[in-house]
Amino acid sequence: MSVGILTDVTKCIGCLQCVSACKEAHDLPLDVPRIWQKNDGLSADNWTSILQKPDNHYVRKQCRHCVEPACVSVCPVGAMHKTKLGPVVYDSGKCLGCRYCMMACPFGIPRYDWDKTVPHVEKCILCYDRLEAGKQPACTEACPTGATIFGDRKKLLNIAHKRIKENPGKYINKVWGEHEIGGTSVMYLSDIDLGFLSYQTHLGTKPLPERTKPAMESVPFAFVGMGGVMLGLNWIIRRRMELSKKNGKEEETADE
Amino acid sequence: MNRVKTAKLILWLFTGFAAAVALNRYIFGLGVTTNLTDRTPWGLWIGFDVMGGVALAAGGFVITAIFYIMKRDEFHPLVKPAVLTAFLGYLAVIFGLFVDLGLPWNIWHMIIYWNPHSPLFEVGWCVMLYTTVLLIEFSPVPMEKFSRYAKIRNFLMKFRFPFVLLGIMLSTLHQSSLGTLFLIMPFKLYPLWYSNILPIQFFISAISLGLMMVAFESLISHWLYKRKPETNLVAKLCKVTAWILLLYFIVKITDIIATGKFGLIFNGSWESNLFIIEVLISTVIPGLLFSFPRLCRNIKIQWTGSIMVVFGMLLNRIDVGGLVMLGATGDNYTPAWTEIVISLGIVSAAALIFLFVIENFNVWEIQPKDAESLPYAPPSFDFTTKTWLGTPEISGTAKHSLAFILSFAIGMFLMPGKHLHNQGIDNIKVKPATGIDTLYINGNRDDQFVKFPHQAHIKWIRTHGILINGNDSCKTCHHLNLPGEKLSQCWECHTNMYAQVDFFQHDWHASTKGANLKCDNCHKAGVNRSAQSAKKCTDCHPTYKFEAIKGGSSKKYYALSYTDAMHNLCVSCHLAESKKLKDKPKLALCSTCHKTHLQNYLTTGLNWNITVPHFNNVIIPNLNSKERVNVEQSDKNK
Repeated sequence: MSVGILTDVTKCIGCLQCVSACKEAHDLPLDVPRIWQKNDGLSADNWTSILQKPDNHYVRKQCRHCVEPACVSVCPVGAMHKTKLGPVVYDSGKCLGCRYCMMACPFGIPRYDWDKTVPHVEKCILCYDRLEAGKQPACTEACPTGATIFGDRKKLLNIAHKRIKENPGKYINKVWGEHEIGGTSVMYLSDIDLGFLSYQTHLGTKPLPERTKPAMESVPFAFVGMGGVMLGLNWIIRRRMELSKKNGKEEETADE
Repeated sequence: MNRVKTAKLILWLFTGFAAAVALNRYIFGLGVTTNLTDRTPWGLWIGFDVMGGVALAAGGFVITAIFYIMKRDEFHPLVKPAVLTAFLGYLAVIFGLFVDLGLPWNIWHMIIYWNPHSPLFEVGWCVMLYTTVLLIEFSPVPMEKFSRYAKIRNFLMKFRFPFVLLGIMLSTLHQSSLGTLFLIMPFKLYPLWYSNILPIQFFISAISLGLMMVAFESLISHWLYKRKPETNLVAKLCKVTAWILLLYFIVKITDIIATGKFGLIFNGSWESNLFIIEVLISTVIPGLLFSFPRLCRNIKIQWTGSIMVVFGMLLNRIDVGGLVMLGATGDNYTPAWTEIVISLGIVSAAALIFLFVIENFNVWEIQPKDAESLPYAPPSFDFTTKTWLGTPEISGTAKHSLAFILSFAIGMFLMPGKHLHNQGIDNIKVKPATGIDTLYINGNRDDQFVKFPHQAHIKWIRTHGILINGNDSCKTCHHLNLPGEKLSQCWECHTNMYAQVDFFQHDWHASTKGANLKCDNCHKAGVNRSAQSAKKCTDCHPTYKFEAIKGGSSKKYYALSYTDAMHNLCVSCHLAESKKLKDKPKLALCSTCHKTHLQNYLTTGLNWNITVPHFNNVIIPNLNSKERVNVEQSDKNK
């Protein structure tokens, strides 16, 4: 089973209860606007935020918990980890602070404790501790309108498609997160385009780790191959030198 | 002053400057000492120090391959300097990483926690191993001087060939894997640079850059020590480079045409212009210059060509390493001066070690002598002949130490203290609350305002008798007032929304437009002028009562940020009362004061402009978990 969250943009009223609940659930301190923060509301102390869009549209931004996460595949020490249940969690004890996960994320989600001398990466962990205790995430629990719901990913997808079918014309016929970059656990239903949630509007269906896979798989071959080529080259050149030396000697003897 | 001496002086200056900045980076963290943001987590340090550094050090494996594998004996004079440069280059990369990594003391985690899917994991391992291999390759040179190491040296010399081979294999891997790092960012990297064969492009360009770095290093070190340049050898390097640059150009352009991105080159955006400049400098112009054998032997062409390739390929690494992502991320990152200083400082330190090693060990066939390194200055006056020999020189060591310490001091002085203490908090001036009987507190004008029934609070305080300061109920909240006022408002001292400020305002007191005081009015003449030795505030303003501030003293002039001040004042009282009052269990919860956008709009009847973008922050008081539990329990009990 893999769990997820479905957020229905048409139902969100922008009350910020989810943001508030997230703060309380993770004991996050008061958020202070800093120069390195960006205007999407996410920060090291704010793991989810509400973006206001024209015509009273409110879009909740949070970690998408990709099915094949880029951040997990790039972390050199495996500090980012995709759990079987679905959430992508972070192990601060392993992290060495290279920030490759922040670079690799196509949604720009992971944030950094830039103000601390012992900084860590901060992002939504889908309330993994609460899930293990049999509870649902704090944000979905707090939502007063049912705009953001928690459940099994497949069931959520069914619900989403059902809603699209039952309300023709209400939604754009697409579930954001169903196929994008191999699917995400946090999905959206919307009547406006949600391309602004990622760095580019169209992400394609190919999972990001697949892009480095061919190069990483050819590493051993490149390693051994380069050694072989160099040894071979060296053998040929030495052989040639020996031959030319011999020839030179023979010529010398012939001269004599 | 000779060239070496000047160069060393400058290098020591940079090193000292960088040392000061690095110290500050460790004390205050990355946020305030760099311009990195959440959208641009990799900056100049990764682009230049790490990516550029590794590529610059490629000379080591290229030259060893030419000399040991291809048996081109004429390149022997270049081998030792090239291996030394490579070794120092990798040391510089590791140093750069130590500054850039958030938790550098965890760098060894790569050895025990494995993630073989990560290109960075592979690069990390290769860099570790290759640095060790380079150390082994180079160590026979310093060992030569000490006879007790002769056995180890002989042993190492025997196994030189396998180590060279291993070095080449490792270099192939990580030079190309640095390109693999960016394969996972197709949405951020500008399409002209993004390519599925980025690793191959990186490997080829690293070879050309490595060759030209060896040429450049030979040219500049021979110029410094005023020796005859190795023109013939450098000319051979240039010839090889021309072929490699041609290959690089073909691979790059074919890939761009094959993926249908050719139109992007001439679309006039800043990225396309940057691309044209980069390819011209790094590949086309030097490639054309070096394609003429006659030009290759011209020392001026050698200088221009090698500098162009080095600069151009470095630009390529900086572009891929973050510069051409700015369009996609919408960030406007420019390196802070601190980042530039550290980058320069690391390169300078490496150059200093290089000069030290070539002066003390047999790296070159004829070891250069630095007269300035003598610890004692020559005499200024010869007593036997009674002649004046000129002003005595200060010895090199003393000068260099002085340069280091001076620039270290300047670096410490230049670190922007106020900015550091604000920890990156923008200076948001608090706007006063509006309303009379009911105040609308909206300090930063984000419309997430707090409705504060002022009259109701006055009434409540009078009837319930919570009088902190004697019988004057106003002083419960108006704990400290400006001179001549009885009811100063909160924002008058707590002027900053999120940062602590100095409410004493020294400059205002001293200025002619303000209090117009002379220094002597507060600071005693003849005593060191400081806050400690100055008069107390209460000497002039007898009505001030600093006891009202928690832990306050007449020498402590800091006012909390507006948000902290409000929370401390309101929440402490609300918490205490919520425990006493049975009918108001939710008195201390955030939602009591902080209504949501919608609730505010509905309950006040004010015509607030709701189209203002949402502010990022939901304001939650700094309750610790214990207090929170108490509140929750009191909720349940009631």
